[in-house]
Amino acid sequence: MEPILSVRNLTTSFKTDDGVVTAVDRVSFDLMPGEFLGLVGESGCGKTVCSKSIMRLLPEYTSFFSKESEILLDGENLAFAHERVMRKVRGNRIGMIFQEPMTALNPVFTVGWQIEEALKYHTDLKGRLRRERAVEMLRLVGIPNPEQRVGEYPHQLSGGMRQRVVIAIALCCEPDILIADEPTTALDVTIQAQILRLMEDLRKKTGTAILLITHDLGVVAQVCERVMVMYGGQIVEQAGVNDLFHRPQHPYTKALLESIPRAGKKQPGKRLPAIGGIVPSLFELPPGCRFHDRCPIGQQVCIDQPPPLEEKPQAPGRLVRCHFPLDEEHRAERRPA
Amino acid sequence: MNPPTSTVRRPWYRSRTVRRFLRNRLAVVALMIVVTYLLTALLVFGGMITLDDTEARVSAGSIPALFQPQPPEKRLEDCQFWLDELKKALDQTDAKAALGDVQFGAVDVASLPLPELRETHEQARRLDQSLAGYADLNDAPEAATKLVELEELVAQLFPLPEGLGAVQRFIELSLGTDRQGRSIALRATYSIMVAVQIGLVTAVLSVVIGGLLGGAAGYFGSWVDGGVTWLYTTFSSIPYLVLLVLIAYMFIGTVFDGTLFPVYVAFCATFWIGPCRTIRGETLKIKQLEYVQAARSMGFSQLHTMVRHVLPNTTHLMLVGFSLNFIAAIKAEVILTFLGLGVKKGPSWGIMIAQSGSEVVNGFFSQIAAATIFMFGLVLAFNILSDALQDVFDPKHV
Amino acid sequence: MWAYSIRRLLYNVPVFLGILLFVMGALRVNDPIYGFLGKNASEEEYKAFQEKAGLDKPFWLQYAIFVKGVITFDFSTESWDQPGLSVGERLRRAIGPSLSITIPALILSTAVSVVVGLVSAYFRGQGLDRTLVFIAVLGMSISFLVYIILGQYFGAYVPNRYFNREVFSIHGYDGWSQLNLPVDWAYYCLLPVVISVVVSMGYDTRYYRAVMVEETGRDYMITAQAKGASKPKVMFVHMLKNAMIPIITRVAITLPFLITGSILLETYFGIPGMGQTLISAVNAKDFPVVQAFTAVFAALYILTNILTDVLYALVDPRIRLA
Repeated sequence: MEPILSVRNLTTSFKTDDGVVTAVDRVSFDLMPGEFLGLVGESGCGKTVCSKSIMRLLPEYTSFFSKESEILLDGENLAFAHERVMRKVRGNRIGMIFQEPMTALNPVFTVGWQIEEALKYHTDLKGRLRRERAVEMLRLVGIPNPEQRVGEYPHQLSGGMRQRVVIAIALCCEPDILIADEPTTALDVTIQAQILRLMEDLRKKTGTAILLITHDLGVVAQVCERVMVMYGGQIVEQAGVNDLFHRPQHPYTKALLESIPRAGKKQPGKRLPAIGGIVPSLFELPPGCRFHDRCPIGQQVCIDQPPPLEEKPQAPGRLVRCHFPLDEEHRAERRPA
Repeated sequence: MNPPTSTVRRPWYRSRTVRRFLRNRLAVVALMIVVTYLLTALLVFGGMITLDDTEARVSAGSIPALFQPQPPEKRLEDCQFWLDELKKALDQTDAKAALGDVQFGAVDVASLPLPELRETHEQARRLDQSLAGYADLNDAPEAATKLVELEELVAQLFPLPEGLGAVQRFIELSLGTDRQGRSIALRATYSIMVAVQIGLVTAVLSVVIGGLLGGAAGYFGSWVDGGVTWLYTTFSSIPYLVLLVLIAYMFIGTVFDGTLFPVYVAFCATFWIGPCRTIRGETLKIKQLEYVQAARSMGFSQLHTMVRHVLPNTTHLMLVGFSLNFIAAIKAEVILTFLGLGVKKGPSWGIMIAQSGSEVVNGFFSQIAAATIFMFGLVLAFNILSDALQDVFDPKHV
Repeated sequence: MWAYSIRRLLYNVPVFLGILLFVMGALRVNDPIYGFLGKNASEEEYKAFQEKAGLDKPFWLQYAIFVKGVITFDFSTESWDQPGLSVGERLRRAIGPSLSITIPALILSTAVSVVVGLVSAYFRGQGLDRTLVFIAVLGMSISFLVYIILGQYFGAYVPNRYFNREVFSIHGYDGWSQLNLPVDWAYYCLLPVVISVVVSMGYDTRYYRAVMVEETGRDYMITAQAKGASKPKVMFVHMLKNAMIPIITRVAITLPFLITGSILLETYFGIPGMGQTLISAVNAKDFPVVQAFTAVFAALYILTNILTDVLYALVDPRIRLA
């Protein structure tokens, strides 16, 4: 099967007062049609920049891509496409959902107006038909009483409702790809589950591929088929969701997994392990492997040589960026962090 | 992106704030300009230029700046001015004493014996009269030579000083003279002191008043807040020039009339509102922070907590308020003076600009240009500085 | 909506009473009668004048009378300086010339500054933006008075002298009656209006740019772009409607400055508007006129404040339903 979106060597840098920083460093991945792909990492690791890069929503004058960056959609490289082309892609081929439903909607326009706006740009629907389509979208995302809601303003809706509206806007033109950037972070846990279920349902119904960006491994475990783990602007591990959760190869992934509390796994007297150290600043990235100074098994070679992202012979079909990928034996023993 | 976290304590002059400021080259230049102005003001205050210097006539009236060449009519007029002044002294019964009193800035009457002076004066007068015969001085070549001759005679009567005196003379005439023959350069420079004085007093007082009231309103809340809010809403509901006029009117005919006191009161009454508003808002925010709660729980009094723990954290707002009010005061001085309610004694940029209104109509721009450029330099530098300060303290501010 | 407007109105009542109190108090610090009659006025003269002007009554009574007068638009007190003319009559004569300058100046300066601010924000960080911001700072550093003097010189004297053409009048305007054609308005009022616009542009442009730049950073801007909206569309539809609140606030804040400006402009152009009347009344120690005019200025300002609040509600659905 051909991937619908293929990202190659995506490198996004920013010009700042303190010099140029690279927030996303040579990220490559493929998104298959109808796939639910997760992108996980701590805050500040470059996930959001990555998603905005694909949509080309970063500030024009302070951000730039490296020459070899490729964002291929139908064979066209979006990284250097004309703004006119991007306008046809945004909302039409790729929809996007944001973290903050409270602020993502324009407060001074009605919900209906905002859905219709997307339809106006990408479809020929007009007048009553367009309004009906907006109502239909609201119904699709599970908003009760959509005929009335369509004329209301965002502040009259709850956070969960607003996120549904944002999803409705993103999906109203039936895009091939949906990028969801922390869609559930700002929501209550119960609402989170509803929104995730909604996304899963819609994916099944419409066949839209979803790239889910989150820091929450629990969310990934619920819905994703394949997961990428990001650290310091790079992808450090990529695997199927089961493999990743049960047999993590990268020490960072393992540490991440260990830092989530698990139901049913009682360890009285033991503290929940946390990852030592702090997320490296993009201004002062460590040499070699970016995780080496927080890594429990780091060695001299990790400082001297940055490891490549590659498929290891012992684990075919998955990628890891580590000189010493973990095997069963490593996983079993717990090292002090 | 997290900022680099470092736990090293740097001295204040190497702090992030100062480094951010120094990186803004324009702001550093502006700071240097402001310092130059302040130093000049200090020198004037110390007696470099006295009020008498600015009121004294240094030459004929309306001489343009930068020693521009002048039309023959004006040159003739200037010669007549010098001759008339000499004549006035010579006609006195005690001519010797009267001549001793004649002084125009650095220029004195030549120390020639009296008869020789009279003789040269007569000679110059005759030339002057013969020149009056020409309808157009530009057309006649011999008129031009006669005019040069006349000017040489005048120069004999009023020789240019040498040494330091020559430098003084150069400065006096560098920006020309106003209609009464007073040196524009001296007046404009003296006005720096007036402006800095008005700016400093107003800015300091208004920030102190505004800061204390705003801090108290934000910190104590309840009726204090209600009262202060009512007070500043009331004051800001009177258009500020009307308020200035009203307060200036209060002082007309009192002992303060003619001093700068009414101006200070009017400016402080108007300008305390800005800092008060911002500092009240900031205090409301700071009040919620842990360390303030901690200070309270340690048993410090309300007043102590406010003065020692809350207000110091609004210093940046006070600094910004200070520089904004400094500019506002200098600009308002011009307007108030023009309306006849501001500076009344001695020169100020306001007086100069107001006076130059009638000169501009006659095509004489030296005075308005000098006052405007002097003021422009200071206000622009302060504007850039306060922008830079706001940038440094609040990077989100644009 | 109505409840909201009335609430705003009530909120401004104590402020207005405070202003009147302050104005009346300030004017009495320095005995206005001696001010007008001169220090050498005799006792009888003083007493007679005091009684005639109603200044012998206790302060609170004078206050009550004045408040009642302002609320019922009763300005029948006689002007001291121009006997025979009531304060109300002077106000009526002055208001026309003032409005024919202030209102066009307000509309024009807001429209121009908003557009320039938008353009500047659109090209944020680029050459054009930097240039505009710098010009604004330059413009802010020059005195209002200099603008007026030079404006008159280049607007009126230069065409008169060098082209023998009278483009703008700089004196002789005294009210609506002269304005039969739009050309007449331009002849009498355009120059002061243009000067007023140029002066306020520095401040306004910077403010509007800041507002727009702040709005550009909001999430809804990204959402709109992610829908496929073009950048101009995002700026002019999504952002501008959101920016209406700061714009309205700014207009309300600018108003007293326009009045300030009109005082200077009117004095300089010899336009017998409210500003000039106030200043000449101050110079003539015409107490009732000063008192009434300051009160009216304040009342106008407060009325615009209330109007502003109501406009907020119209623009922002969040306030409307609050």
